[in-house]
Amino acid sequence: MSGPPVLRMVDVVKTFRSGALVTPVLHGISLEIPPGGLTLIMGPSGSGKTTLISLLTGLFRPSSGRVELCGAPISELPEADVARVRRARLGFVFQSYNLFPAMSAQDNVAVALQMSGLSWKCARSRAADALERVGLGHRLTHRPADLSGGEKQRVAIARALATHPTIIVGDEVTAALDGVTAFQIMDLLRTHVGPDTAVILVTHDRRLERFAERVIEMEDGRVRADRPSERPPQHMRAAS
Amino acid sequence: MQRLAVTSLTHDRTKLASALAGVAFATTLVITQAGIYSGFVANSSAIIRHAGGDVWIMARGTRVVDFGETLSPGARSAVMAHPCVERVRPLTFTFVPLRKKTGGFDSMQILGFELDEKGPVLPWSLSQGLSHDLEEPMSIAVDEGDVGKLELPANPLGATMEIRGRLVRVAAVTRGIRAFTLQPYGFSSIRTARRLSGIADGRATFLVADLREPSCAPSVIQAAERWPELQAMTTEKFATTTERYWVNGSGAGAVLGFSTLLGLVVGVVIVGQTLYSMTKDYEPELATLKAMGASRGELASFVGWQAAFLGCLGAALGTVLALGLRRLVEGAGLVVVLSSTVLLGSYLAIVFMCSTASIGSMRRVLSLEAGQVFK
Repeated sequence: MSGPPVLRMVDVVKTFRSGALVTPVLHGISLEIPPGGLTLIMGPSGSGKTTLISLLTGLFRPSSGRVELCGAPISELPEADVARVRRARLGFVFQSYNLFPAMSAQDNVAVALQMSGLSWKCARSRAADALERVGLGHRLTHRPADLSGGEKQRVAIARALATHPTIIVGDEVTAALDGVTAFQIMDLLRTHVGPDTAVILVTHDRRLERFAERVIEMEDGRVRADRPSERPPQHMRAAS
Repeated sequence: MQRLAVTSLTHDRTKLASALAGVAFATTLVITQAGIYSGFVANSSAIIRHAGGDVWIMARGTRVVDFGETLSPGARSAVMAHPCVERVRPLTFTFVPLRKKTGGFDSMQILGFELDEKGPVLPWSLSQGLSHDLEEPMSIAVDEGDVGKLELPANPLGATMEIRGRLVRVAAVTRGIRAFTLQPYGFSSIRTARRLSGIADGRATFLVADLREPSCAPSVIQAAERWPELQAMTTEKFATTTERYWVNGSGAGAVLGFSTLLGLVVGVVIVGQTLYSMTKDYEPELATLKAMGASRGELASFVGWQAAFLGCLGAALGTVLALGLRRLVEGAGLVVVLSSTVLLGSYLAIVFMCSTASIGSMRRVLSLEAGQVFK
């Protein structure tokens, strides 16, 4: 991993308020994620993983502290500017896929491309290429309801990859998949890791460490451990 | 976003059908009510507008065309004396009692007019016979819509009826000339009308003045009103006064307006409910779009396009239904005017309805928490 960080958090605190009830969730977290690697954020339920990733992607604002996404201070920018940064820099993959049920696989991917400024015709053509790359060239016209869980997640990955984002952020992307399919999905996500790009995944699944360079372990709203993966990817093992 | 919004809407056929039914129902109701209202207004002054002329002269105190009083014989020559008056046409417009074939009594409004060389302007819509057929004494024209009510044969041409103890013959048949009071109209020469109404020769209930120059109408009115028994007004003013009298005075305007409003409220509720539930169903996807960087405008346009699609398709369906319903309503004796103004006004009301219905969904979309994509 090298180059200036694609994500940076400095002394970030997040508390949620509900009336008089104040719930602290994150306590002064500082971390940097450089490009060129796949980082896992792990920890038990309630440890603050989801809040952390929401802050990293600008979906939440910190109660205090600073968050930078590809150099942009997203904790301080207006919402519209944060949305523009997300559109240009991030791709998302979710546990429950979040595909549009009324649209075909191709159109689901094309929507993201159209949002990035392409014409619909061009977006569909690029979407077909993206689906081809994730092995779904034969399922272009199928709607999500007609696809298996693994296929839906491939469509979601194709959607995230198609816009060539700097960072792909995933939340429990393999939780609903069987072991073999989960590893296929991780292989696909690893294809995005390059010298200027990164993948960040929240997961409970320790088997995924073999695909990661770095593991950040959360506990009670703090980083308990920030360490290299115990079973780094093949290319890293070969290099070492 | 347009494609996504419309595809999502058409994907759920059940919700689409209920929303379209709501918009179509509201459109039908609004168009029909507005059409009936327009028909009511137009009908109340139809006689005045079709008889035309520039200035109407009537007995002082007359408020509407339906309740005129007989003028003195000298009134016509008094009006004619004004240099700007080209001609004066006498009209009689009176209620007369009639006896039906089965022996029952009813009444009708007989409009008597002069048939001169310039050609008659009344009646304005004949389906059988000619205006000049009414020159024959004791001949009248009745409307084909009133044939049943008057207990005449299906083809009434040549049939006779008894008005004020006198036998009259149906010499012509009109189409669509129905009084909004639902009292049948009968058209005849002024001579016949006088005999049937008991009005002496040379007298009339209205005088319609055609002027050489319409701009001298105020001067003609002033001259006519020097006579203590007369009042005069321009044709347009008399028509408007009559319309206001019936529309406001009868309360029909308020009733029709309330029905239209009710239709709109029903439409707002149905369309609003459908859009809201659809927005709720699509929250995960909309939150995904927001996470991906969709702007507030793009997210709002999701709801906007759905509302616009429902509005356009529903309004088109509603218009077709309203056109079908028009025949039924007219069969019941009401006049429905579906003019371009009525349709345009109704469509604006539908646009307002769909816009109002989408407010709840818009607010929900705009306050959507993108962070929920990770929940």
